[in-house]
Amino acid sequence: MRVTANAFDSSLTSQLNVLTARQYALQSQVSSGLKVAAPSDDPAAMANTLDYQAQNAAQTQYSSNISTLLSRAGSVYNVLQSLQTITSRAGEIATTVGGATNQQSTLDNYANEVNHLISQVVTAANTKDPATGQYLFGGTASTTAPFTATTDASGNVTGVTYSGNSTVNQAQIGVGMTATADIPGANTGSTGAHGLITDSQSGADLVNHLIALRNNLSSGNTTAITATDSANLQKDQNNVAYQVANNGVVQSQLNVAATIATNRSASLNTMISNTSSADLVQTMMQLSQTQTAYQAALQSGAKIMQLSILNYIS
Amino acid sequence: MLGLFGTLNLAARSMQAQMTGVEVAGQNLANVNTTGYSRQRVQLATSPDVTTGIGPEGTGVTATGIQQVVSALLNSQVQSQQSTSGYWNGQQSALQSAQNGLDEFLNGSAAAASATSVTSDSSTGLAAQLNGLFSAFSAVATSPTSTTARQALIGQAQTLATTFNNVNTQLGALKTSLNSSLSDNVDSANKLLSGIATLNQQISAAEFNGGTANNLRDEREQDLENLSQLTNITTRTETNGTVDVSIGGQALVTGYKVSDTLQTYDAGGGQMLVQTATGGVPLTLTGGSMQGTIDARDGTLATLQKNVNTLAGTLITQVNAIHGGGYSLTGSSGANFFNGTDAATITVNAALAGNPNLIQTSGSATAAGDNSVALQLAQLGSTAQGALGNQTFNDNYDATVAALGDSLSTANTQVANQTAVAQMLTTQRSSISGVNVDEEMTNLLSFQRAYEASAKLVSTVDTLMGDTLAMKT
Repeated sequence: MRVTANAFDSSLTSQLNVLTARQYALQSQVSSGLKVAAPSDDPAAMANTLDYQAQNAAQTQYSSNISTLLSRAGSVYNVLQSLQTITSRAGEIATTVGGATNQQSTLDNYANEVNHLISQVVTAANTKDPATGQYLFGGTASTTAPFTATTDASGNVTGVTYSGNSTVNQAQIGVGMTATADIPGANTGSTGAHGLITDSQSGADLVNHLIALRNNLSSGNTTAITATDSANLQKDQNNVAYQVANNGVVQSQLNVAATIATNRSASLNTMISNTSSADLVQTMMQLSQTQTAYQAALQSGAKIMQLSILNYIS
Repeated sequence: MLGLFGTLNLAARSMQAQMTGVEVAGQNLANVNTTGYSRQRVQLATSPDVTTGIGPEGTGVTATGIQQVVSALLNSQVQSQQSTSGYWNGQQSALQSAQNGLDEFLNGSAAAASATSVTSDSSTGLAAQLNGLFSAFSAVATSPTSTTARQALIGQAQTLATTFNNVNTQLGALKTSLNSSLSDNVDSANKLLSGIATLNQQISAAEFNGGTANNLRDEREQDLENLSQLTNITTRTETNGTVDVSIGGQALVTGYKVSDTLQTYDAGGGQMLVQTATGGVPLTLTGGSMQGTIDARDGTLATLQKNVNTLAGTLITQVNAIHGGGYSLTGSSGANFFNGTDAATITVNAALAGNPNLIQTSGSATAAGDNSVALQLAQLGSTAQGALGNQTFNDNYDATVAALGDSLSTANTQVANQTAVAQMLTTQRSSISGVNVDEEMTNLLSFQRAYEASAKLVSTVDTLMGDTLAMKT
């Protein structure tokens, strides 16, 4: 085939352009670490990467949600510990006075102590989550104090009004998974989450049971304490124990979910990397090969282009 | 017998013929880098013999013409290839701009590249912003009364709305730009048509008395190839050397005249197409950058814009449907979260943006801390939408991005293929019509030596004539 000077120049230029473009692409891959940077690089890989990134963003949010719930579960647990102490002491008082003959002054002292226990319960039941400032035990009516105490002329609590509800918020902790760290202050229904202070499913009614104990102590009615209050307080103790156990289960569930989210996120990062990241060793080798080809094209082109018949005629 | 004077004339004609050869070689060398130039050859023939007593005797050489070395078949193939190449270049250019407008790129870093693997991140495109919105809804669902979480949600929603607006603006500007480009191409095509008609006239006039208007033909061929890049053309060469040009069956150049020109027209909704200016006949183009631009604009780009608008519209409808039934921290209800209907108009409700406590996350008018509505909004991200072909928002958008990437990837491949084909055809044509400096220099030397020899003949005849005249003295 007849090869002209321009055909040679044109072909060399075209080859150099191709090699330069390939070097640019490979250099971009090496510097960014990505073999897929734009949708047109690999449409399917790009779609997969975006999908993995969406899943990863969700996992990150699940981790954040779990962290918030764990914090809230910790706050709830602190209150439950207080209530365990209170119910335990109240049960102890009921058992103590019920099994022996007591002077009224002693009973009055116990009544006074129970009075304090009642106040502590009301305060504990109105605890706020330090992270969000929401009341922990108002159900979803968490912006107002759930328990309002009514008092007599002496300042003794004679009853409490619950203004919260028995609904609890669920939060996303995984794909299709929700959890709650909340406990409603009261649930007088036959279904749903057990109430912390009042719960018809377990028969708990801590404040009223403590009021009854206090009143019976004040009136010296130890028979009623033995016959009724002890049993009622046992229900309260059981209810708090149930809540403590449930809180432990929730925290355990959240920790498992956190581990799942972390592992899933790591797995997704690996999948993203496998889909969109350049194999650096392979890319560097390809870049080296392309550079060699580019140098060879330049060298051979420069040598051949210097030669012409003009070098040999005078 | 020629005699001394006849021989002198023979030498003179030979010198003229060789000089023509030198001139043609010089012309070829001068145009070695001229685009579209086809090499020329001087055609030499022996002069008519004269009858002598000893038989016919040669009278030397004469230059009978200057021939252009071209292949009509290759020229036709180049025109066709230019049309295909122009089509894909038009598509590539438009789709590349669309990809830039969508701004859905993965980011990596050199530092990360030093590890065995890197984590890519797309943080500016719609995909990341959609993820961010549903994450923000989830965060609010986890802490429904948190002002911080609500402010973050508003910020994220505003960023998403702005991103939708920007994508819509970019795609709209691209459409305008493509229409403008189409109009420019039509202007260029009309200039080329006018040039071809003028060249037809000049070629016909130049060749009227015989011969070939080589350089004018080269120029016209170049114009035809440039026109082919813009649109597919059909040509017919007439016996008088003129070339008629038609597009889509409509005659545009006939002989010396431009019988019609091209113009753009609005086919409705700003969809600019091409028709004949005088006849007003819409043209069906099948190649060239004009059709590539039209196909990209009305195909992939229109689908892209429609999909982004459907995505935005569905998001607005679905979020508002859930949000409207909820209650805010102040107990208000019924407000939209997003205003607008599509990617162009989507904004966050200004009242909510001004007071995030008005975001309606509760399902109960009496329980501000309820999160059931926020949870529904968070779960919306993983819910298949009928309006999006039973895909989630993210899956639908991922498919849209992939479809654009696929179209551009195809255009990139086709452009690379056409570049290779163009290179092959150029090389083939160059092997026939291109100028080879070595070859021309060799020819130059050949003609030079022949000229020298003829000059020597003149000198010899001169000597002989001198000798003849000296015989008398």
